[in-house]
Amino acid sequence: MSIGKGILEIKNLSKSFIVDNNPLQVLNDINITIPPGNFVSIIGSSGCGKTTLLRIVLGLETNYEGDALIDGEQIEGPGINRGIVFQDHRLLPWLTVGENVAFGLDGKSRKETEVIVDEHLKLVGLNGFKSAYPCQLSGGMAQRAAIARALANKPEILLLDEPLGSLDAMTRMHMQKELERIWLFEKITMILVTHDVEEAIYLGDKVVIMSSRPGVIKKIIDIPFTRPRDRSSYEFMQIKSEILEEFHLGVEHPFIYSI
Amino acid sequence: MSKSLLKRFEWKDKLLAFIVPLLVLVAWQSAVSLQLFSEMILVPPLTVMNTLVDLARTGDLTNNIISSLKRVLSGFLLGASTGFFLGLLMGLSSLLDRFVGPLIKACKQVPQFALMPLIILWFGIDEVSKVVFISIGAFFPMVFNTYQGVSGVPKKYRELARVFNYKSFRYLTKVILPGALPSIITGVRHSLGLSWMFVVGAELFGSESGVGYMMVWARQLFQIDIVMAGLFVIGIIGFTMNIILQIIEKRVLRWRVSFDGRMA
Amino acid sequence: MLVSITLPVLLILFWQLITSTGYVSPHILPLPKNVIKIFLSLFSEERLMLHIVISLRRVMSGFLIGIAAGFSFGLLIGLSRTGEKIFAPFFHALRQVPMIGWIPLIVMWFGMSELPRILVIAISAFYPMALNTFTGVRNVPSEYIELASVYGYKRLKLIRRVIIPAALPSIITGITLSLGMSWVILVAAELLIETPVGIGRLISNGRETCNMEQVLVGIITVALLGFIMTMMIEKLAKVVERGRSIHQEL
Ligand SMILES: Nc1ncnc2c1ncn2[C@@H]1O[C@H](COP(=O)(O)OP(=O)(O)OP(=O)(O)O)[C@@H](O)[C@H]1O
Ligand SMILES: [Mg+2]
Repeated sequence: MSIGKGILEIKNLSKSFIVDNNPLQVLNDINITIPPGNFVSIIGSSGCGKTTLLRIVLGLETNYEGDALIDGEQIEGPGINRGIVFQDHRLLPWLTVGENVAFGLDGKSRKETEVIVDEHLKLVGLNGFKSAYPCQLSGGMAQRAAIARALANKPEILLLDEPLGSLDAMTRMHMQKELERIWLFEKITMILVTHDVEEAIYLGDKVVIMSSRPGVIKKIIDIPFTRPRDRSSYEFMQIKSEILEEFHLGVEHPFIYSI
Repeated sequence: MSKSLLKRFEWKDKLLAFIVPLLVLVAWQSAVSLQLFSEMILVPPLTVMNTLVDLARTGDLTNNIISSLKRVLSGFLLGASTGFFLGLLMGLSSLLDRFVGPLIKACKQVPQFALMPLIILWFGIDEVSKVVFISIGAFFPMVFNTYQGVSGVPKKYRELARVFNYKSFRYLTKVILPGALPSIITGVRHSLGLSWMFVVGAELFGSESGVGYMMVWARQLFQIDIVMAGLFVIGIIGFTMNIILQIIEKRVLRWRVSFDGRMA
Repeated sequence: MLVSITLPVLLILFWQLITSTGYVSPHILPLPKNVIKIFLSLFSEERLMLHIVISLRRVMSGFLIGIAAGFSFGLLIGLSRTGEKIFAPFFHALRQVPMIGWIPLIVMWFGMSELPRILVIAISAFYPMALNTFTGVRNVPSEYIELASVYGYKRLKLIRRVIIPAALPSIITGITLSLGMSWVILVAAELLIETPVGIGRLISNGRETCNMEQVLVGIITVALLGFIMTMMIEKLAKVVERGRSIHQEL
């Protein structure tokens, strides 16, 4: 097995928080290996520890048991090889949208910075809002700006915590396409947390299903379809209902009857 | 059309603001005309105005204002800058916070006017003691507000800075200081306001120049018109300082002044 | 804990050192043990107690009058836009006059008596209270008011059940600030409006007789009293906050 740069290995990872002086087990014995350039979707009910898992990979949560390794090295803190789109957009309110996108760009000339910012604002469809302040954006626009900020840094591993959560259905599909395009182009690893099963299948090479209390990986499903994927194909639908089954929501789809 | 309507409303609002001052003036003038009080206690508004003009013409007023302003400025700059740096360091280092924080909090409990006699005993009755006294007034709001602003920058923004590998200087200028700015500005405002109050207090306490001195001196000679004129002057100066600060605040906090899209 | 008492202990040691070695004259800084001695003797003579009681009475009367008036006024201009337009500009203009500045005028009007002292304290307590009540009322989220109107809350009930509770943190901030102001102005009033009793008198008496120990005893006493009262208010604020934080977490 050839190991490229940016391989993420998580072995027997457990994490608990202290809540009201009692330990609360949030993640329990998580095992997953994500080769470079993979796209992994994570779905699971609210509070099952998805954000916590991403924060561990990011290096913001320490004090866990087990291993979280990148290229065989324990993650000890944040590094610019990993980028994140937080669940809350976290744009700094005192910087303009353009300055926010440039937030992680260090040691670049003014001109280079401008070019990168413009390019990424265009990518997420926010050209024209460069000098606006975050408070002047809608929730969805703020999320797109946060995506631009994360991408501008060209990380090897990009963590996305429900990045499309507050977008309308149309923009959402458009952004999914864009994410796929960026992923294919940049060849980076992306780990996407989402509550949208369709989104998870549409984008993921693998879909990780987590269940809660404590958070464990219940199942990992490989998605073998070629890209771009057809959301209405029979196979797509079948995988979708298989996943929904895991959540005991396995309503049979009318489409399946008609076959 | 709607714009002119709006303008008319604004105009009416402005007019409402004059009701109370007008009533006060009318009451004042009629109390004088009806001779409700002796002339030692109440003089007509116009007399106060005339006194003010006279004082300005002789140059007395200007000199007193200048010496008050000089004091307030030196005291404010000394106290506020010390407070700012200490507050910043305390906000950044929890060790330092635990080291000096409790002492500063305890010192804040001393009503600063109580220190005036002590300061006079230590520094004499001249300029130095006044500047020291004012700077003590300016110090406390600044140190606490800066500290609160710095330590109150939300964790989520600090995390963001860590994710993007921000080191000391950039971290300070891009994340910590802008985040703390609203609180720092509040500190500046309180600090300047207290400085202004303290200068008047110090001058009432004993001085040879300044607006406060002018008022004490007038009180001893039972010249109530000068006392009222002095009150008017310190009010106007305080008001002007506040306006200037508000303009600065609007400028630097542009990112906060916004339409609130969630009102509806 | 250990860290927080290091500096005070060091300072006291330093104080002891420079005074006991005679490096600083006792007229500038007395020996710590002499300050304690004077404190104890003043305390046992009950003179100190008298000063304290009189000062406390002054500060409490002024403070209570001030916050009651400030609360009512803040509520009035907070609830009524017209009220705000009529009264707020004058209020803000008047607020710019430092409280201390009123002293000469008030003394001319009322003489050197108890009334002007309490009046100055009341004015100083009034402003922060009025201002914070006003902002608290204005910052009540419109969602709450909408919700209340959905349930048919009428004016009085709306004020009592929604507006005042929602504005409470700000109101408490106002009370705290007012109390602090009252203490600062109390001493100023006692120093500038001559009085035979009160902690301010104790301090200025000490200065006039070059009794440094007494000056320090006075300062430490006001500081302690102010500290105790602030602690009490902060306790109250905590209790109120605790009751609220439960639903703010979610
Ligand atoms: N700093 C913390 N201290 C204590 N408990 C925490 C902390 N952070 C998270 N938790 C707990 O860990 C659990 C998992 O939280 P996490 O944010 O990872 O969930 P999630 O899967 O991302 O949920 P969602 O889909 O709602 O975002 C929750 O029960 C939460 O209460
Ligand atoms: Mg989450």
